[in-house]
Amino acid sequence: MRTAAIRLTALLLALSMTCVLSATLALAQKKPPPPPEEPASQEQVQSDISTREIAIQSNFTGIEILIFGSVDFSDSRTPGEGTYDVIAVVRGPDEPIILRKKERVAGIWVNGPGKTYSTVPGFYAVLSTRPVRAIASDETLKELGIGLSDLDFGRYTQGDPQEQAYRSAMIRLNEQKKLFQERDAAVKFIGRSLFRATVALPVAVPTGRYTVDVYLFRDGAVASKSQGSLQVTKAGIEQLVYALAFKRPFLYGLVGVIIAVLAGLAGWFAFRRD
Amino acid sequence: MLQIYLPIAEISVNLVVMLGLGAAVGFLSGMFGVGGGFLLTPLLMLSGIPPAIAVATGANQIVGTSVSGTLAQWRRGNVDLRMGFVLIVGGVVGAVIGVFLLKILRERGQAGLMISLTYVAFLGVIGALMLWESVNAIRRARAGKTVSSRRSGQHNWIHGLPFKMRFPRSRLYISAIPPLVIGALVGLLASFLGVGGGFIMVPALIYLLRMPTNIVIGTSIFQIIFITAIVTLLHATLNYTLDIVLAFLLVIGGVIGGQFGVRAGQKLRGEQLRALLALMVLGVAIRILFDLVLRPSELFSIVPLAGV
Repeated sequence: MRTAAIRLTALLLALSMTCVLSATLALAQKKPPPPPEEPASQEQVQSDISTREIAIQSNFTGIEILIFGSVDFSDSRTPGEGTYDVIAVVRGPDEPIILRKKERVAGIWVNGPGKTYSTVPGFYAVLSTRPVRAIASDETLKELGIGLSDLDFGRYTQGDPQEQAYRSAMIRLNEQKKLFQERDAAVKFIGRSLFRATVALPVAVPTGRYTVDVYLFRDGAVASKSQGSLQVTKAGIEQLVYALAFKRPFLYGLVGVIIAVLAGLAGWFAFRRD
Repeated sequence: MLQIYLPIAEISVNLVVMLGLGAAVGFLSGMFGVGGGFLLTPLLMLSGIPPAIAVATGANQIVGTSVSGTLAQWRRGNVDLRMGFVLIVGGVVGAVIGVFLLKILRERGQAGLMISLTYVAFLGVIGALMLWESVNAIRRARAGKTVSSRRSGQHNWIHGLPFKMRFPRSRLYISAIPPLVIGALVGLLASFLGVGGGFIMVPALIYLLRMPTNIVIGTSIFQIIFITAIVTLLHATLNYTLDIVLAFLLVIGGVIGGQFGVRAGQKLRGEQLRALLALMVLGVAIRILFDLVLRPSELFSIVPLAGV
């Protein structure tokens, strides 16, 4: 159901983008070509990911991916100049979750009613050349959805101290599982225009389509943006088992029982003494 | 090293640890004629498997160990088939109720708590009673008195109930109602706690129905196959919580451990066996109680909103 919805949105996005593109193309064709002597000062960021398809198989224990890119038409003369900052945001599919807090009732610890967050990314990593707050203003970061402190989880939590406590607990739990990461100085420039960053996807990463947004900042504003995506899927036996478990659950349960019975019989025959 | 990814639990576990866990529990299963689930399910949860998946997968593992355990008992003529079938009929009813109960509790976030409380209550009471009884039996045996665990002439209220059936293997002529009720209660526990229910079935058959201990162990493990198979199917179909890969690892370890357990069990006397089992049952109960009473290091927990 969800994948279908994602596909549909992707299709719609693609359609609208084609419309916009063709419109701009048409406009560009009508306009006279720009004079060749104008300097190409508008810097452009290009980026890609080392792995676009991640297959979770039985030996999966997490994976490290490399995000790399370059700044075209860079104004920077030396590597350490600091003219540009790069922020990369890796974001997994959104999931609704419930956060519960244990409370002491009659001497034992009991789960409270809990709070629902409707759009929590299954994975979220911000990688940057410097602390993000030093790169851009809070408003800019909030607008772009950069940084955990301003991320919209689908629940209004402003002002209420209890809501704030829950929210930070949820972030902390996800950080412990390495599903949320904020890493300053994770993006490194190599030379004048090349940069790279690695990000580790832990074993618990959800499956689905991940977006990788790479922002090039100059003087606190986005100078250029590059977008990519990667797909995390279960593969091999893992995929087979998963599909069977959710599409043919009775058959799946039956297979489980039969395997257990056969193993029990085999064990008995192997160890029989007569 | 030797890590394996579990497709439903969505975590990576150590292959050797899971095989060893299966073997240890299988050993106990063969030794005492219990499913061993009361140890397996909490241990799985401790290794980071989500509680609902631990319950369903634990039940699946017990199917395998019970098959080899039953075959070993069968050859010694310790299975009362007729009694077994009566217990299974009751068990199916209980299992269905238990699976739905767990589904409702999971939706309210109270499954973990209720599972723990039920564990503490049942394991605590049964463990204490069994320990009391077996220590007394050992003391009497030491004092040189001959003990007959079977007081066949004695009648209690159970013998006044209607629908009497003959159970030749157990040398009993009793109403079908108590075995049906015991079966239903055990089925409920099996689906709710991911256990075979041997820890309540064995004492109930010994003390309430006064079946001979050896027949009790064989019959209990025989009916556990069917109850846990049904529980596995129900959980897989309704809750999508069965992890076949994990179950496979546990069952391989379990059947090997089970065979050694049967042999170890033959070397011990009935009352010593019961005392050991009682100590283990009490130990698990205390461990779970501690977790409920002590302040948890992490108060918050995240669960996905939709189970699917």
